[in-house]
Amino acid sequence: MIVVLLILHGLLAVVLLGAITHQALSVLTAPAKRRWTFVARFRSVDGQAYATPIVLLFAVTALGGALLYPQYRIDVRPTLEDLQNSTANGVFEIKEHLAAIGLGLLPVYWLFWQQPVAANTAAPRRYLTWLLAFFVWWSFIVGHVLNNIRGLLP
Amino acid sequence: MKGPRLKIFSIVFGVLYITAFYFDLALFRYYPAVREFHWMRTDGIGLVVLWYGWIATAALASAAIAFAVPRTMAERLWPGWAWIVPTAVVVVMLIYERRWFV
Repeated sequence: MIVVLLILHGLLAVVLLGAITHQALSVLTAPAKRRWTFVARFRSVDGQAYATPIVLLFAVTALGGALLYPQYRIDVRPTLEDLQNSTANGVFEIKEHLAAIGLGLLPVYWLFWQQPVAANTAAPRRYLTWLLAFFVWWSFIVGHVLNNIRGLLP
Repeated sequence: MKGPRLKIFSIVFGVLYITAFYFDLALFRYYPAVREFHWMRTDGIGLVVLWYGWIATAALASAAIAFAVPRTMAERLWPGWAWIVPTAVVVVMLIYERRWFV
């Protein structure tokens, strides 16, 4: 059961990572000379359409992580402590904090994406999106590294 | 909870979460070895998970503050605080968590 949940959590994280990366690049300032490159195509999405799915994906993925967390505390963390691998525990603790802070940010992030873009809302919308994107990227990378740490450690 | 109140909730949530984490103000505690939730610290039943309790503390306190702040004040709030305060919270948290890497 825990393996199924872990795989599901990982798959949801992939979808969330893709969505938030599309949206984070879509709020970049438009280049002066528009060339139809891969990056230009990647960022030319309707960011507003991504907001609600990102909120739902973040919440569901965080819930999955919360359900998996006790197993991590019982099995993985003590093993890492025995191996004196405080770096691995540290990056995971930061992941916990970022997931929690990200959950709290979702209401205002969603709110700014529902409002029409104005001079005083464009910057908060952009920076909140980048902040959430940083949380998702950190959590994704740390989650996958720790999941595979047995194979990664010498 | 309407727009301005959502803004207040999100602005204070991160601050209260980090405060709950630093001062160990978990609303409840989960003991995974025995699969039990406890309001208070309970010794002798294995390791404790505080993370859920910190989130619950921050969520309840943030919701209370969001409803307590007068609507006119919430509406006048500069939108920039919505990202500046959480960013500052993340920076403070990262500085504190350097303890794992020394």
